[in-house]
Amino acid sequence: MQNNWYRLDTAALIFPAITRRDWSNAFRVSACLKDEVDPALLQQAVDELRARFPSYYVTLHRGAFWYYLEQSRQPVRVRSDYAYPLTFMSSRELRRNCLRVLLYKNRVAAEFFHALTDGYGGSVYLCNLIARYLELKEGVSIPREGLIRDLGETPPEEELEDSFLKHAAEVAAGRKEASSYRLHGSREERGFKTLTTGVVETQALLDAAHRRGVTVTALLAAVMAESIIAMQNAERPRRRQRPVKITVPVDLRRLYGSRTLRNFSLVLNVGADPRYGDYTLEELCRSIYHQLCASATPQNMAGMIAANVQPQQLMPLRIAPVFVKNLVMDAVYRRSGESGGSLNISNLTSLPLPEAMCRRIERMEFIIGPQRSYPNNCSVLSFGGRTYINMIRNIRESELERRFFSRLVELGIAVEIECNRS
Amino acid sequence: MYCVKCGVKLQEGVGRCPLCQTPVWDPEPREESRSYPDTLPRQHRESDLPGAVALTVVCAIAGIVTLTVCFRLYGALRWGGYVIGALLLFYVIAVLPRWFRQPRGEVFVPIDHAATALYVLYICLKTGGHWFLSFALPVLLSSCLISTAMICLLKYVTGARLFILGGFLLLCGGFTVLVEFFEHLSFGVGMFRWSPYSLAGFGSVGLFLLIAGMIPSLRRGLEKRFFF
Repeated sequence: MQNNWYRLDTAALIFPAITRRDWSNAFRVSACLKDEVDPALLQQAVDELRARFPSYYVTLHRGAFWYYLEQSRQPVRVRSDYAYPLTFMSSRELRRNCLRVLLYKNRVAAEFFHALTDGYGGSVYLCNLIARYLELKEGVSIPREGLIRDLGETPPEEELEDSFLKHAAEVAAGRKEASSYRLHGSREERGFKTLTTGVVETQALLDAAHRRGVTVTALLAAVMAESIIAMQNAERPRRRQRPVKITVPVDLRRLYGSRTLRNFSLVLNVGADPRYGDYTLEELCRSIYHQLCASATPQNMAGMIAANVQPQQLMPLRIAPVFVKNLVMDAVYRRSGESGGSLNISNLTSLPLPEAMCRRIERMEFIIGPQRSYPNNCSVLSFGGRTYINMIRNIRESELERRFFSRLVELGIAVEIECNRS
Repeated sequence: MYCVKCGVKLQEGVGRCPLCQTPVWDPEPREESRSYPDTLPRQHRESDLPGAVALTVVCAIAGIVTLTVCFRLYGALRWGGYVIGALLLFYVIAVLPRWFRQPRGEVFVPIDHAATALYVLYICLKTGGHWFLSFALPVLLSSCLISTAMICLLKYVTGARLFILGGFLLLCGGFTVLVEFFEHLSFGVGMFRWSPYSLAGFGSVGLFLLIAGMIPSLRRGLEKRFFF
């Protein structure tokens, strides 16, 4: 931290550049408490967290050469939730605050502009917010364990660092990747986003994955790939098909032992090419699992980090005005950012929380918004023995959700469906 | 409650399965438990203020340079009038909407046509021509009417896009005939030299769109291939 402003971390540099007038990259973490939430106490908790998590109470500004984050002078106000999650964050809003705290009945949600942090950082913030709220409301003492931090301590430098810079390899990995099948449909009006949540027993999901010798993420990615392949089969002949790739974010903190609360994850594109033949679910599971295992190694990831870090250290790019960088980054993003995947599956797994908190929380969810060029996305979070699979879309057609959840039912996993659209 | 088609368990009180839209029959109807409120966010587009400021500065510099050069060289406006007029026209068409958060097409299209008419009138007077009332004005008025009507229909009428576009293309074909007619009246050139070809082109595409609007399978096929 320099004075009261921050440079964007390596992964965040791209987000302001690719923001559009009707799309911004954001995500949401939410928790439903067992009792109705008191807005005044929640507001107090939000205000009290400012000193411990200064990197979230910031505004986005455009410098001459780079965007930067500056400490916000305005408080983050607790607001009422809307009919759909992740409403558009305009640049005007980002100049006020890049974080939203939303309340609906017993649900507290925090929405972050992705330049601030990733899913892990977001969940740390939300859990600490809920912990502080519970302390204020019920007078209980929440132990400082798992994700819960001591609000009295000064935020350590390692929580604010750009860990990408520390872990880049000397040689960058190539970015080239075949463009994958693009999901499409008729756009919703007024930017409406339909959220379909599939609630499943975590144990049933784990059993189904372990029977196939894979992880839950690999199983879900395989079922998703199978659903997308079936949709592509119905649409075009095999020789004109494209690879189906699922973009899976990898939390690099686990690989490198970083404690940063800023962005520190990279994505892997895993899947299958349906032009080469048909795949059974078991084949997809094994293939995707091995692709994930082979790619998510510290060495391979270091090469991928270097591919992001090295260009920003090139002198011609560093001295280029920010609008030139925007054009370059936008072009790079269009070429290699989203084209390699058909859809994201971001799995936060389960969050380590103190027992005193778990007793008072009914459920927790993680939602990522649709990407700029593909309309569906999927995010997963487990809590209290149940896994919440959130599928969001900005198109009217629910074909992918239908195929995906019906397939889980076929696999013997009972799915309960909730939707924000009646 | 379970969906008979997908096999998934549904929330209490829902009327249809959110995945396949199959209606749900509940012998004991219950109130739906809503997980989200009905409030929609206020919709707003962002104005392009930096772009508007930058283009205003560029236009102002170009105008000042033109005026300076003309008065230094000739002591009069001379060709500078055309340049200044073109700059003003560019400003009205390309820069003015950028100052507004939600520029409305049905307002700006008539303004653009009015600005164009003024510029054309200036040229007509400057060159001593007598074609403004007989040619330029009726052509611009027709163009203004057609394009404003098209924008209003697209904005306020939902679900008939192909009919609107088809009708617009037919009108465009008719407009080219009208242009040639006024050209014939003003400048005495021959009639039906080029407009029948454009009428045939616009007309055939327009008719195709009207027919596609009437045949659902053709419409769906077109949507699948030409969505953007």
